[in-house]
Amino acid sequence: MKKNLILKNFFIYFFALIVFLIMFFPLYGLILTSIQPENIIRSRNLSFFPKEIIFTHFAEVLKPDHISNLYEGIRNSLIVSFLTSFLCIILAFPAAYSLARLNLPAKNIILGTLISIYFLPTILFVIPLFVILVSYQLDDTVFSLVVPYTAFTLPFVIWILKSFIDKLPVEVEEAAKIDGCSTLQLLIHIIFPLLRPGLIAAFIFAFILSWVEFLTPLIFTNNFKISTVALGLFRSTIDIKIGQQAAAAIITLIPVTILMIFFQQYITKVVLSGSDK
Amino acid sequence: MTDLLSPQSNSQFKISREKILAFTLILPSLILVFLTYLYPAIFTFIISFAEYDIIHLKIKKFVQFKNFEFLISNYFFTSSVLRTIYFGFLICVCTTIFSFLIALLLNEKFIGKAFLRVMIVLPWAVPSVVSGVLWGQMFHADTGFLNALLYQIGVISGYKIWLADPLVALHVIAIAEIWKAIPFMTLFFLSGLQSLPSEVFEAASVDGANVFQRFSNILLPLMLPIAIPLFLIQFVLAMKSFDTIFVLTRGGPGGGTTTLNYFIYQEAFETFNLGRASAAAYVLLIITLAVVLIPTISRYLIKFFWGNK
Repeated sequence: MKKNLILKNFFIYFFALIVFLIMFFPLYGLILTSIQPENIIRSRNLSFFPKEIIFTHFAEVLKPDHISNLYEGIRNSLIVSFLTSFLCIILAFPAAYSLARLNLPAKNIILGTLISIYFLPTILFVIPLFVILVSYQLDDTVFSLVVPYTAFTLPFVIWILKSFIDKLPVEVEEAAKIDGCSTLQLLIHIIFPLLRPGLIAAFIFAFILSWVEFLTPLIFTNNFKISTVALGLFRSTIDIKIGQQAAAAIITLIPVTILMIFFQQYITKVVLSGSDK
Repeated sequence: MTDLLSPQSNSQFKISREKILAFTLILPSLILVFLTYLYPAIFTFIISFAEYDIIHLKIKKFVQFKNFEFLISNYFFTSSVLRTIYFGFLICVCTTIFSFLIALLLNEKFIGKAFLRVMIVLPWAVPSVVSGVLWGQMFHADTGFLNALLYQIGVISGYKIWLADPLVALHVIAIAEIWKAIPFMTLFFLSGLQSLPSEVFEAASVDGANVFQRFSNILLPLMLPIAIPLFLIQFVLAMKSFDTIFVLTRGGPGGGTTTLNYFIYQEAFETFNLGRASAAAYVLLIITLAVVLIPTISRYLIKFFWGNK
């Protein structure tokens, strides 16, 4: 029995190490490339531990006149992602409440449609949206990014908020209603504060999904007036400096990674809220 | 009589008021979804039967099924359809297997588990452009780690240009997609595993079932209701993948990594043939629907996410 346990532990740690290496090594490689001089990256003497650490690649890509214009990209992406997450919450919060608690006709059809839409090919909607935006000369604006992002993220955010509302005790709402609370008051003063973990989770999800979006800005901002961070990074791939490219990739990665690590419990909550019945 | 009727009519009035309220609350979301999904979908459907004038932004003429006929007789199109299905299937099979194994691992107790979980979830937040850059550098012919590693341990005798071979390039992209898809599915599997009753396993173990018997007779059947929707979702998402292809290979070499989604992008925004692109987009939609019929998937999803409510 004891021998079995040791064997089991050995397998667990061995497997854990392999999983760690496979999942983390690509990121480590990227970090390694970003902090080493170009001539070392290009040499064939492979070393997984850096001998010389430099940060010039980072300084280089953050210069305002750099080809990939990452600085402007970060600013635009922050604006667009914040606006999108904010809009998503405002739209999704009442919708999720309506789906979770109120006697909405055809509830299941609406829910099913909303979720199914998320899995349809995005390109199907992008072609006409492009035509519409161009014909009203709205392409290359913040608007042309925020509206599609919001629409693409909204079903997901509604789902997150709905599963959180489902978990709230109904008694609180009933008590408030007996006390003469209107639905609007109920939403603002009672559900909203109770739903804080759900709202934070939804906000983070919407933020990350907007931050990583690539196809929409690629198509809707064709004149390079507005660049998002993902686009800026992509343009750096045209450049041949590998170290700078890696540095740009890491800068793109930092905000979402921080969100991910600090709010991991909320993200796990989202998944857990979906599965236990 | 009136006393008996009045509470009923009152509650009926209440219900209809609640319905109106419910609709008002969800209406803004529905309008946005309608404007950005349904209206464009109809638009795409119409121009898939037409030639679209990109300069004047209007329909030049209707050509009936010519766009579809062109696509079917086009070798690049038919091969990209087959490639898309293979690509999607490969990704979702690999992702499901790996995620399930990792979830089994994370379900055990060991030191450093919390840290490993963060590391595993991390790739989900990696923008696909970054993952494109990352895997591009990994498989780079001159500076890539893979070449250096394989060369030093003596597996290959010279540096290989991985992305120059269409078939290898397609699988490199698949690896990048799998790496990015693992985190989310692992979390779902993990929460599924944690919701399983542990008594079942203890009972089976007392009855003398060994690890493999417990795995195949108890764990797999119990996890299947979770695995099937996840598998289908991943299949559909994999067929939609665009960013990694765009960054890594741009559909090349020789169209060897052009999936249907990328084909549509090229038709629409490189050659500006919106009619053909729309027709191809509808083919992609039909394939998506064929893979997972929307009613099935939404039924699964509703059951999966909210139970039978």
